[in-house]
Amino acid sequence: MRELSLHILDAVENSINAGATRIELIIEEDLAKDRLDITIRDNGCGMSEEQVAHIYDPFFTTRRTRHVGLGIPLFKAAAERCEGYLTIASQVGVGTTLEAAFQHSHIDRAPLGNIAGTLLTIILFDVGDVRYVHRVDEQVFEFDTAEMRAELGEIPLTHPEVRRWLQEFIAAGEAGIGRSP
Amino acid sequence: MKLKEICRELGLEVRTAKEKLGREVTGGYASDLLSCVMARAQSGNIWVTLQGHPNIVAVASLLNLAGIVLTEGVEPDAGTLTKAEEEGVAILTTPLTSYSVVGKLFDLGVPGAD
Repeated sequence: MRELSLHILDAVENSINAGATRIELIIEEDLAKDRLDITIRDNGCGMSEEQVAHIYDPFFTTRRTRHVGLGIPLFKAAAERCEGYLTIASQVGVGTTLEAAFQHSHIDRAPLGNIAGTLLTIILFDVGDVRYVHRVDEQVFEFDTAEMRAELGEIPLTHPEVRRWLQEFIAAGEAGIGRSP
Repeated sequence: MKLKEICRELGLEVRTAKEKLGREVTGGYASDLLSCVMARAQSGNIWVTLQGHPNIVAVASLLNLAGIVLTEGVEPDAGTLTKAEEEGVAILTTPLTSYSVVGKLFDLGVPGAD
């Protein structure tokens, strides 16, 4: 895919389909070490060892509408193309953690892309809480929608005004850490 | 035009699914980004790429492509050939660049997917 944010969205959709009510997305950019690491952790239904063993195989999918599933295989290929890797650790009834690592400066590394739009989409799926951490060297932008929800009380995150505020908040936060493309 | 004729005209080496060479090729598409292929290539198209990992077989199978041309002498991964044989996906290899392969396909009258 042309943007890493699309891989992230795809992986988060897996989390949601696994019934996750809490999703953590952590993006760490360490320019000195030339690494870009993406971690997606959920509390969904998790996978058995057998399912995890098959997850990199595009001909294995839990979906019944077609016989191939390319989300994870494509994400993994994108990482490996850039001197990186993708690993998945999962436990039934506990959740799943996906880690994708890239060489930051690799010429074939896709840009993070529209991470603000992706985040907003994930939050507005409104299936649970989202904790987001984006670190670029010493600078960090982070939030947890559980805390926002506590402040908002009865008002849902999907309320148009909250949504507008979220959009500006995320755009400002991302701009504030001077993230690289 | 049939896949077999394209293989002959371009001197492609047939690596898997010889039984599929009688297939009619409806058009062509070239990209190394599999997500783009999934979005744009059409059933019956021939796909030109230099990606050799097994994911290409999944994409070709999903879209019912006529075949995959692996360019620049790329050797498909072992898993790719096994899976392609199982799935009946024709993999054709050539030392030519993707650019040259696409040019020759155009000369043969194979249209683009757009």
